[in-house]
Amino acid sequence: MERRSETLLITITTQTQVSSFLLVSSFHISHFLLPQTPTFSTPFSFSIIRTKQISFFFFFSLSLSLCLRPLITFMMESLPLETAEKIILRWDSTASEDARDKMIFSGDRDESDLYLQAVDEIQRSLSSVSVSEKVNSAIQIAMARLEDEFRNILISHTNPFDPTTEDEASLTLDPPSSSSSPKHPDNDENDEVSQTSLLRFNSDGAASSVTGSYRSTSSIREIDLIPCDAVYDLRCIAERMVSSGYLRECIQVYGSVRKSSVDASFRKLGIEKLSIGDVQRLQWEQLENKIRRWIRAAKVCVRTLFASEKKLCEQIFDGVGTSIDDACFMETVKGPAIQLFNFAEAISISRRSPEKLFKILDLHDALTELMPDIDVVFDSKSSESIRVQAAEILSRLGEAARGILSEFENAVLKEPSRVPVPGGTIHPLTRYVMNYISLISDYKVTLNELIVSKPSTGSRYSGDPGIPDLDLSEFEEKTPLDVHLIWIIVILQFNLDGKSKHYKDASLAHLFVMNNVHYIVQKVRGSPELREMIGDDYLKKLTGKFRQAATSYQRATWVRVLYCLRDEGLHVSGGFSSGVSRNALRERFKAFNAMFEEVHRTQAVWLIPDSQLREELRISISEKLIPAYRSFLGRFRSHIESGRHPENYIKYNVEDLEDAVLDFFEGVAVSQHLRRRSE
Amino acid sequence: MPATTENQGSFLGRISIRRNQVMSMDGTHDQEMEDLELFQKHVGDRFSELLSTTTEDSSGDALLSISWLRRLLDEFLCCEAEFKAVVLMGRDPSQIAKPPLDKLLPELLDRVVKSLDVCNAVALGLDAVKNLQRLAEIVVAALDVTPLGDGQVRRAKKALSALIAAMLYEDNANAKGTERNRSFGRRTGNNSGANSKDRVRSLSWTMARNWSASKQIHAMMSNLAAPRGAESSGLAQPVYIMSTVLVFVMWALVAAVPCQERNGLGTHFPLPRQLSWAQPMIGLQEKIAEEWKKKEKKGNVGLLEEMQRMEKLGQSLIDFAESFQFPPETERLDEMKKNVEEFAEICKKMDEGLEPMQQQIREVFHRVVRSRTEFLVVLDQAGKLSAPAV
Repeated sequence: MERRSETLLITITTQTQVSSFLLVSSFHISHFLLPQTPTFSTPFSFSIIRTKQISFFFFFSLSLSLCLRPLITFMMESLPLETAEKIILRWDSTASEDARDKMIFSGDRDESDLYLQAVDEIQRSLSSVSVSEKVNSAIQIAMARLEDEFRNILISHTNPFDPTTEDEASLTLDPPSSSSSPKHPDNDENDEVSQTSLLRFNSDGAASSVTGSYRSTSSIREIDLIPCDAVYDLRCIAERMVSSGYLRECIQVYGSVRKSSVDASFRKLGIEKLSIGDVQRLQWEQLENKIRRWIRAAKVCVRTLFASEKKLCEQIFDGVGTSIDDACFMETVKGPAIQLFNFAEAISISRRSPEKLFKILDLHDALTELMPDIDVVFDSKSSESIRVQAAEILSRLGEAARGILSEFENAVLKEPSRVPVPGGTIHPLTRYVMNYISLISDYKVTLNELIVSKPSTGSRYSGDPGIPDLDLSEFEEKTPLDVHLIWIIVILQFNLDGKSKHYKDASLAHLFVMNNVHYIVQKVRGSPELREMIGDDYLKKLTGKFRQAATSYQRATWVRVLYCLRDEGLHVSGGFSSGVSRNALRERFKAFNAMFEEVHRTQAVWLIPDSQLREELRISISEKLIPAYRSFLGRFRSHIESGRHPENYIKYNVEDLEDAVLDFFEGVAVSQHLRRRSE
Repeated sequence: MPATTENQGSFLGRISIRRNQVMSMDGTHDQEMEDLELFQKHVGDRFSELLSTTTEDSSGDALLSISWLRRLLDEFLCCEAEFKAVVLMGRDPSQIAKPPLDKLLPELLDRVVKSLDVCNAVALGLDAVKNLQRLAEIVVAALDVTPLGDGQVRRAKKALSALIAAMLYEDNANAKGTERNRSFGRRTGNNSGANSKDRVRSLSWTMARNWSASKQIHAMMSNLAAPRGAESSGLAQPVYIMSTVLVFVMWALVAAVPCQERNGLGTHFPLPRQLSWAQPMIGLQEKIAEEWKKKEKKGNVGLLEEMQRMEKLGQSLIDFAESFQFPPETERLDEMKKNVEEFAEICKKMDEGLEPMQQQIREVFHRVVRSRTEFLVVLDQAGKLSAPAV
């Protein structure tokens, strides 16, 4: 009973409509109605309202300022019960043709006010001891009438929300319809009020962000779906329906009309109805597009469409009865919200494969960003299921991301191609993996939250020769994600080592490893993010590894060649004057020439794509080859030139070799034989 | 759901035993045979318990009543957990990635994906039932007053006609419903028929446009054949049983709850008559199919026991309302009061049962998704998944 009296009190102080209570009260009307400005803080009205009512009260007194109606016109002394009954019966649409065709609230203002007054009078008389069947029937007729009026007002203000205007940065809070609203106060005041009401609707902490940036898409931004004078009418009707026990009818009508409006908005936003089966059948490329579109649509849905529906429910129903606003809100948006989230859910359970990771992370990020707003918009008990579902999808997307990462690691380990890449250059796998890793580093913030355990390496699998070992204790201070990246590089190298064994030529195998590890190092160095994640310690190791490969290459190729230029075996003891065997010398030169020509021919086709590395390796070769050849030539040239056909043995001078080394690792076959510059 | 946890407890114990025994390779085969037999037996037991406690009237768990469906969902969750324990846990991936499981498992997982859409459709259907509940509550609120006047009867009549229209909506389109509603409609005016249409629309289901519950169920049934010969004693058997249970449960849900497009749902899917675990399921299947046949021609919103009763009561209340004259005869009034009481009792059952049932459906959704993920991981590890991505 106490609550009821409060409600009535609100009716007096805030409604410009005259309630029956007002009429019977002993106060003089003008006492109440004098303060008509938004600052409506008559001590009288506020002092008796309990704190929890204040926010509502505050809001309503403000919206009052938007919807000021002529007041005194309707201040009648009293409305006798018989008159009230007559008014009700006049509008009984089962009784007259005229009543059926006309709507009270779309007609003359006076008439609708009078009708409401009549309803109040009937309602009041119901509480008295003896109720005649006539009065009883009148209230039912009135309620049926009000239900129709309620529906009619809702339907006539059903304009699907237009997302194209929403995309514009210059969106203002005034709905298009507000300009046509005749009873609108001037705009300055309206702006102030709208902002304040935004504040109110996000009273639990979110308010500060809302006032600051409501014009951007990054936060909740309600629009007025229905002009305020219509909202006012709806509220007046809702109050009376609820107090007469017609709450369910009210919810039913409200839900059915608003739901179709939300449906229409969904169509405008291009939100498709896809079943989980549909999503599983679509190509990933198609889904990527749909994900992009979904993210945009979901933001508008949560922050504008659903938030505005919620606001509308609050404007009409807040304070009318316990959680009616929630009930109506859920009635309107539950289906659409489930449909919206259904797509994200379908994506979250799609088959895991590496190419999906980044779009799934985009989806995860978008939903994470939306979560606080989802929590605000769906904050009531009755909308808990929506909140829970969104959280579940989010966690499943996270799980999918984790699963994909481990799937990716598995794929890198098992990538089966056996055909060696020609020339020992960079394997496509290396490029793919490194590009993938750099993308991962772009998503570092999200992934650091999602990847919470380090890869299962080393000890667990140490028995398996098919899996590399990694001592995790070296990376104690690294984040799990960092360790995963290092682990991926370890796996990649492990796989590449395996692939290198398919080269018949050991030198080429080393060159292949050198090239690929060098590429890894370059990629890591090239991205500050990645470099930080991998860390300089591990980078040093990698650098050491490709240098080692370079050394191994030189050993494998050049030790043999340089061996021809040794002194041992050329001197014959106690023989000719010089003590040098010309035959042996000739054989040596021939062997050297043949070997060098062979190496030159094959290794010119090999490829070091990085010019600096190529240059360095050539220099390193020259540094060993040229001095050795020069000194060999210096010591033994005379022995050959003193014999016949020296040109058959000394085919190249030092410059020839220096030039020839420049042909190495260009990936181009040398067309003719090694040129002799001296000729 | 105390029943669920209890049952889970019992087989969780078994899992740990299993794991220990898997470690020692000796006698694994015998143990496995025993596990498989136990699984079959448990499935049989669960459904025979369900069958034997199914009551004819609403005094207990009547067939396809909310409480009955909730038990069915509980049993499903138990079967599912036990299935995973038998087939997946503690098993070497290579064991389940070889024929015939390399084909049967992906087929099961495909059925699982299809069942997810069914779960969503059923959850939406339950929202539609909640709508009916609200209409029924209006009827109760209107008629449960003394003295009863013309106005209250009018109010009840309006809600009743919307209720009946919504119930008959699905298959017979809205021809009958709208007509009926209009004859009671107070006013038509400039938005003629909006009343009934809105109410019907509030029952609309938000599945994809071409989505059909019966097609989905039929797709789940395809390739469902009992393993024969040597296969029938191996892991193919539990996979087949699980598929059957899944299809059966989804079929029953779709039959009970308002669902998009259900033509031809009454079709039997073959259950192996010779296998003992299937017997109780066959019994239930026959009962449900019989109900379906009775109602199919009329066009109905679903076999949910509460809705069926509501429809029957609704009809007699409409009769009462149509012939109502003030003051009412005591005899008719008493009869009406009894009906309203039952109406109120159904509303109460719906009020208590629909929400938890939706949560259970969601739980089923989660559980099968999780199992599917786990199976996929194992199949991928074994690297032998040849079926197209589902």
